[in-house]
Amino acid sequence: MIVTDGLTKRYGETTALNNLSVEIRKGEVFGLLGPNGSGKTTTIRLLLGLLRPTAGSASVAGFDCWRQSLEVRTLVSYLPGELRMFGWMTGVGMLRFLASLRGGVGLDRAVAIAESVMRLDLRRKVRTYSTGMKQKLALAMAFADPVDILILDEPTSALDPSARALVLDLVREARRLGQTVVFSGHVLSEVEQVADRVAIMRLGHLVHLEDMHERRLNLRLLLIRFEDEPPLVYPDELELKERERNGHTVLLEHRGLPGPLLRWLGERNVADLAIGTDDLHSLYDRYHGPNVDGDEDKTR
Amino acid sequence: MSAFWAMLRKQSGETRWSLGISAVALFFLSWLGVYATSSIESRIRKAATDGEEPPRMRVLRGMGGPSMDFSTVAIECTMWNHPFILLPIIVWAIGRGSSAVAREVERGTLDPILSRPVSRSSYLGSQILHASVGLLVLGAALVAGNQAGRLYYTLESPPSAWLVAKPALNLAALGFAIYGGTTLFSAVDIVSWRPMLIGSALTLVEFVIHVLVNLPAFEDWQKYDHLSIFRAYDPVEIVTTGETLNYNVAALLAVAITPIVIAFAAFSRRDLPANS
Repeated sequence: MIVTDGLTKRYGETTALNNLSVEIRKGEVFGLLGPNGSGKTTTIRLLLGLLRPTAGSASVAGFDCWRQSLEVRTLVSYLPGELRMFGWMTGVGMLRFLASLRGGVGLDRAVAIAESVMRLDLRRKVRTYSTGMKQKLALAMAFADPVDILILDEPTSALDPSARALVLDLVREARRLGQTVVFSGHVLSEVEQVADRVAIMRLGHLVHLEDMHERRLNLRLLLIRFEDEPPLVYPDELELKERERNGHTVLLEHRGLPGPLLRWLGERNVADLAIGTDDLHSLYDRYHGPNVDGDEDKTR
Repeated sequence: MSAFWAMLRKQSGETRWSLGISAVALFFLSWLGVYATSSIESRIRKAATDGEEPPRMRVLRGMGGPSMDFSTVAIECTMWNHPFILLPIIVWAIGRGSSAVAREVERGTLDPILSRPVSRSSYLGSQILHASVGLLVLGAALVAGNQAGRLYYTLESPPSAWLVAKPALNLAALGFAIYGGTTLFSAVDIVSWRPMLIGSALTLVEFVIHVLVNLPAFEDWQKYDHLSIFRAYDPVEIVTTGETLNYNVAALLAVAITPIVIAFAAFSRRDLPANS
């Protein structure tokens, strides 16, 4: 549905996005993770045709994002991260205006979502809304748009916990209806809940792409303390990957079947063992945690 | 409602107060011009008949140019050269020009519009149409003020609305020329203060050139008047001989349209960064 190939955006000496190649499948929720300045918003703006690629290309449903951006934006609804609205309009006036830019479609559904789900008073001027209420209004329009793709840039940043849960429900509903959702955010637990795949970005690079289904089903962490020196290599068929080593203790990542692993462990001098799962936070910390070097020269 | 009309309606809503206040101001300033004309008409006519030219007359002649005569409409339109008439038009032109793109980028309100299926040319087109209609509204306010004033004050030969509409059209065209230049700078910028500053500075320089070269002390510099768009705004000449209306309006439209065409090209190719 969305394909980028070597997508790059430079501003003079600064590279905001470097050689991004990724394919987002139809009907999936695709999480974009990374701190400020990692290239998430640049990626989104390139997809919408608001920025011109320095190199590479991006396409949505076969339409080139720069040369055919009008066709792309017909298929896409976008919620900006830095949300600005027209304060002199009423809530319903704002929805009517946004719907008019798409030929008037989606207004009734947007009003219904805003009033019934988001509990907004649409007769009030937008300038009297709080930041969270404005975000709810924009979300109502985004989810009401009859489009194939939703691009949500930090959609829950200004929302209270109950509204965040509502947004996640709406994302799941969008997926059920077959819409593709690109979900950029900082709240890892939210992305973890709804995303089918997650891309982690750092300094304009895509540094990791994770399939969340596989992760939920197959990934486990093993913390093992051996009686003697831990092995330096592990049998390939066990699909073990060492993350950390501290004396006789090792932290291993395991993606294989449990049977061969348990048999192998039975043959070792294991003093202690803990088996657990890995959350998105630890994966994220591998690239953005406190122990990661901020080596910008290598990545930019 | 189509996207184009929705954008026009939104722009009208945003500028309703500034346009309304400017139009009301011009209406009453034009009315004031009629009152002033009525008050001084007899004295000016008397001075002209006596062959004298008091200082006030010389000032008026300078403002009105060589075609100055002393008909009612000429005296009225002499006042249309005054900065208090020009200022609302210039402020509107520079304000709308700098807002066209740069201010919307700056405050982040371009994203909700251009992330939807709206072409950039359609967006800019709606801005230009709205600003142009605003200039015509301001010109119409001048005509309306003039025609309303004549109902209350005695004039030697009250001009028709059609006759007064001609310099009003010239004034609107002058505003459009200023708008065109400012819009070009706005179309390539990300902050509104810069196109506003450039538009204001250019307008001021052109106005100063026009005023200076028309002072008797600087007669030798007349050739530099070609550098000023204010040369193509001559309300008195238009209502007396009417010979330069078409040329002046065409010249001002050309001055406006050239940067606007470039603005379309630049805007369609430029990056639109996030406001943050």
